[in-house]
Amino acid sequence: MTPAQDVDLDTQNPSALPAPDAAATVSAGAMIVCHGVTKLYDPNVLALDNVSFQIDKGEFVFIVGASGSGKSTLIRLLLKEMEPTRGTIIVGGRDISRLRPSRVSQLRRNIGCVFQDFKLLPNRSAAENVAYALNVQGESHQNIRRKVPEVLSLVGLVDKMDSLPNQLSGGEQQRVSIARAFVNHPPLLVCDEPTGNLDPDTSVGIMQLLYSINRTGTTILVVTHDREMVDKMRRRVIALEDGKIARDERRGGYSSQ
Amino acid sequence: MTRFRLLVSEALHSIRSNLSTTVAAMMTVFIGMFLLGVCIALGSWMVSWSNHTKKEIVVHVYFCASETCDKPATNEQKAQTQVRINEINSQGLIKSFKYVSKEEAWKIMQHDNPDLTRGLRGTNPLPDAYKITPTRGEDAGKIATLLKNPPLEGVQNISYNKKVSERVLKVAKVIEFSFLLMVMILLVASTALIANTIRLSIFSRRREIEVMKLVGATNWFVRLPFMLEGLICGFGGAILAVILLSITKVVAMPALNLDFNAGSDVHAWPFALTSFLMVLTGLVLGAIGTGITLRRFLQV
Repeated sequence: MTPAQDVDLDTQNPSALPAPDAAATVSAGAMIVCHGVTKLYDPNVLALDNVSFQIDKGEFVFIVGASGSGKSTLIRLLLKEMEPTRGTIIVGGRDISRLRPSRVSQLRRNIGCVFQDFKLLPNRSAAENVAYALNVQGESHQNIRRKVPEVLSLVGLVDKMDSLPNQLSGGEQQRVSIARAFVNHPPLLVCDEPTGNLDPDTSVGIMQLLYSINRTGTTILVVTHDREMVDKMRRRVIALEDGKIARDERRGGYSSQ
Repeated sequence: MTRFRLLVSEALHSIRSNLSTTVAAMMTVFIGMFLLGVCIALGSWMVSWSNHTKKEIVVHVYFCASETCDKPATNEQKAQTQVRINEINSQGLIKSFKYVSKEEAWKIMQHDNPDLTRGLRGTNPLPDAYKITPTRGEDAGKIATLLKNPPLEGVQNISYNKKVSERVLKVAKVIEFSFLLMVMILLVASTALIANTIRLSIFSRRREIEVMKLVGATNWFVRLPFMLEGLICGFGGAILAVILLSITKVVAMPALNLDFNAGSDVHAWPFALTSFLMVLTGLVLGAIGTGITLRRFLQV
């Protein structure tokens, strides 16, 4: 497996992100820092209420909680799809609320995203779906031809490069989605319910794949409802409840002990 | 280069995915541009013709003849008339003037209307006259007024052909205005249809847009294929209009026996210039239509 780049967001695109807020205390090893983050939807729906946590580089973290607890809002804030009502979000040492709109694409190139519904383009093959991410980032044709088979072999789909998404099983489609998210070796991988549509056996395979990616140094943030998986893996768990952090355990389970 | 190819292929992919609306938009641009082309050709021809007509405006001072008045104009009366013409000439209103005798007028008429002169069987009813060419066509009326006030003795009639040309120009202006109105309506419709096509295109490609944004495509990378699609719509419609206009010029006009030869100096703008203006307008329409939609519906 190709190791994840040793660099963080800061050094990958130094000009892409503004300098961190001097007021916020950020340790050098932090990948994500949320400081008093509140998100209020209209009219007066509180999705996140003064949420603060820090995720270090190389960590594997589960975010759990019931529907409506604020998990997806958190992901959308990290991807800068919307702005927090209050608070600071620092990714890779940089305050993303100060990011200019034209620089959002640079932020997203450094965050791999995996979703429950895979978000694959139906009329493109597995290889084309992965290549698409590189294409839009302006990668050279030569690099694309080298990187795509490499990452597809990493996820175990090198023999299905030319298959269309509808010719692949759910697990295989999720592997393509992971390959697309990881093809650039981003320092952070954000997964929103990656096993939500998969059977238990397939889910184990996906989690193993994410774990092996994590071992290369990539920080992994997984939002999930998969109780069995969280309990089996015994990694850090941040539990959200009504928009607040109810629990943050180093080696936790889905429910509090 | 790879990136440009990718943008073009994305635009073509987008066109393929909602072909019917793209074709509808292109057809509206096509009709609008064709009418614009006709309008430019007709309008520029009319301006040229109007200038030509103005140049041809002359003031005729007809002297009394035995056939038209009680007594024919005397030489003294004719000399007085010339004095008046010289006075007006000193004001710079007259380009040239010429005395046309009864005999000369008859010869000219024999040449221009031989049938009419044959019917008169050798009788010459034409009077002696002065033919005055104004410096500017518009001054014909002023010259006629100066000749009439105070009235000159021995002069039977002072006339100029401005009224006819004014009437023709008025009709021409109405036609031109109607065409322009139609063109304006069609241009607005074309822009709206292009905007709608792009909106549908954005809707049909929302998944790609979502993925593009997730994997870090720049705003321009997301927008450019749609911009290209709008420009292709405008350009395609305009090119079709140029083709139809050239067919009309080369095939239809001679076949319908439409002769616009009103003089060697009367002509519409060159076809190449008209075509260029049509294509340019098509491209501008495409850009405006796409711009409106992208601003409203594509938040990147």
